[in-house]
Amino acid sequence: MNIVIGLITGMIAGATPILLAALGGSMTFYAGIFNIAMEGMMLMAAFFAVLGSFFFHSWLLGVLFAVAGSVVLAVIFILFSVVLKTDEFVTGIALNLFALGTTTYLLRKIFKVKGVFTNKGIMPVPEIHIPLLDRIPVLGPIVSGRNLIVYIAVIATVFCGYLVFRTRFGLRLRAAGYNAASLDSSGVPTARMRSQALLICGVLCGLAGAFLSLGYVTLFAENMTAGRGWISLAAVILVDGNPLGIAVISLVFGFFDGLGLFLQGYKVAPQFTSMVPYIATLVALYFYARRGRGRKFL
Amino acid sequence: MRRRILSGAAGVLAALVVGGLLMLIQGYDPISTYGALFEFSLFGSGTLATTLKNSVPLILTGLSASVAFASGPVNLGQPGQLLFGALAATIVGIYVPLPAGLQIPFLVLAAVAGGALWSGVAALLRQLFGMSEFIVTLMLNMIADFFTAWAIAYPFMDRKAYSPMTPPIGSSGWLPDIGSLSSTVLLMIVAAVLVWFVFQRWTAGYEWRMTGQNSLFARLGGCDINRNFWAIMLVTGALAGLAGGLVVMGGPHRFIKGLGANYAWDGIMIAIMANNSIIGTLIYGVFIAAIQTGALGMELITNVPSEIAQVLQAVLVLVIVATREYLNVALDRISARRQARGRAS
Repeated sequence: MNIVIGLITGMIAGATPILLAALGGSMTFYAGIFNIAMEGMMLMAAFFAVLGSFFFHSWLLGVLFAVAGSVVLAVIFILFSVVLKTDEFVTGIALNLFALGTTTYLLRKIFKVKGVFTNKGIMPVPEIHIPLLDRIPVLGPIVSGRNLIVYIAVIATVFCGYLVFRTRFGLRLRAAGYNAASLDSSGVPTARMRSQALLICGVLCGLAGAFLSLGYVTLFAENMTAGRGWISLAAVILVDGNPLGIAVISLVFGFFDGLGLFLQGYKVAPQFTSMVPYIATLVALYFYARRGRGRKFL
Repeated sequence: MRRRILSGAAGVLAALVVGGLLMLIQGYDPISTYGALFEFSLFGSGTLATTLKNSVPLILTGLSASVAFASGPVNLGQPGQLLFGALAATIVGIYVPLPAGLQIPFLVLAAVAGGALWSGVAALLRQLFGMSEFIVTLMLNMIADFFTAWAIAYPFMDRKAYSPMTPPIGSSGWLPDIGSLSSTVLLMIVAAVLVWFVFQRWTAGYEWRMTGQNSLFARLGGCDINRNFWAIMLVTGALAGLAGGLVVMGGPHRFIKGLGANYAWDGIMIAIMANNSIIGTLIYGVFIAAIQTGALGMELITNVPSEIAQVLQAVLVLVIVATREYLNVALDRISARRQARGRAS
């Protein structure tokens, strides 16, 4: 029983950063932006989360710093791709490398270390124990006692679904992706919708990054996102941006992420267990392509 | 052509100014920092040879990305293909001893085959199941990363070493220095000339470029799109694999942990800066290698951390591309205005 609970909590922890980043990606997906900068935004956020949490001894400031760091990248994205009309693919790749370079540089400059920064002074985001609920056997330890950002991710999923499909903002957002010219001619600037989508994406990726460095683990390591931004991009593509679909896909990836950690106890070489989420992505892409829509994208 | 040089130069200049501002904000003197950076990479004695050697993996992966992007396939798998090329060359170099004259070409072939094998996996998945090569190559990068980490930690590990690495390859496979210049540079130049020739002068290269610009036109014109896709993926994988092989043969002579560094992503950035032009890739490749090489020397005399090179690079690519696209729009507007005025009078 404990193994099952462990697997499920591992799945939730693995799914959370991918879910949050993919929700951000779905916003830009609907707005018609080919946004591949989630990886960089998350990495930047993970660094600034540790920075804020360490210097101010407050996880809340850590999270705020994380969101700020990620939003700065989103603003640069807006500047280049929306204002200066630079190719989105190029902007995304450059921003990912910019985040990698900047975090490595600042890690060295501010914390005077290479590779990994870990310190007792970094305050992690707390776990929330829900009274009454945590008394229930089996379900209790799963639903209660998760990291605060996990609950935020659940709320964000519902919120994004509502925002995209039930509000005027969402209608305009989808119009920006579906037919930008007619949105422009109806008096709503597409550029504004796209900028707002990118800013929301920045906030969500900021939370994802904060979870990585203040929840999943309490440290910052160079390139610690390790392709999670790309996996979240795959998740967005697999379900055509639908927030609820993203939640399901993220849980599947989270399961394989947790499974990888779990298998390490069974004498499987750690390098192979680490491969599991990426192979799962390939398998998911296979099923997506089998549905005959694989060639539509790109 | 003149416009490309103009916009490229303007972009580099603008990027260096932005980089200088970033240094100023942190309280570093940009002029002396840049001075040290280029003194230790281009103008100092013997430093140019180091820069050229460091440019080899950047330029080869850059060529790989340039050819792929200009021809259509979004092959972002250079990091993984580089690792597989390096692993193939290392394993063959350890277990197949040959005389020196044969060993080097054989190892080069192994590296090329290793890279092509890994890009071939992506091509196969695309052709069999229609899986977009964009995400597939990215995932294969991560898998290659872990696979090679496993290979050098378990089956091919050097038992005498303290950290994961393979034993050295046979010394007949080592690429020597000629004077102060590494012979990997010569092999890189040969590869670049071959790529340029195939891409710009051969029918195959013409078909690839046409497919990249308008695949429908190419298909209606009688090009075999599927065959070309295979060819492009295998050739670009082979180039990235060659990069890995040369890193092993010219450098540590074994597969050490972290061998791939960030070469391939830097190469992709170089291709983007060069707008997928082959000559541009060579120029920007040397330029980026100069920044990386000079950064180490700069750290010694200015106490600016060498990691600033990575930040500078990313600023370069963004500003260069934005300047180019913005300048093109502006120049088009000027020439259109001039034409309109000419017609009016």
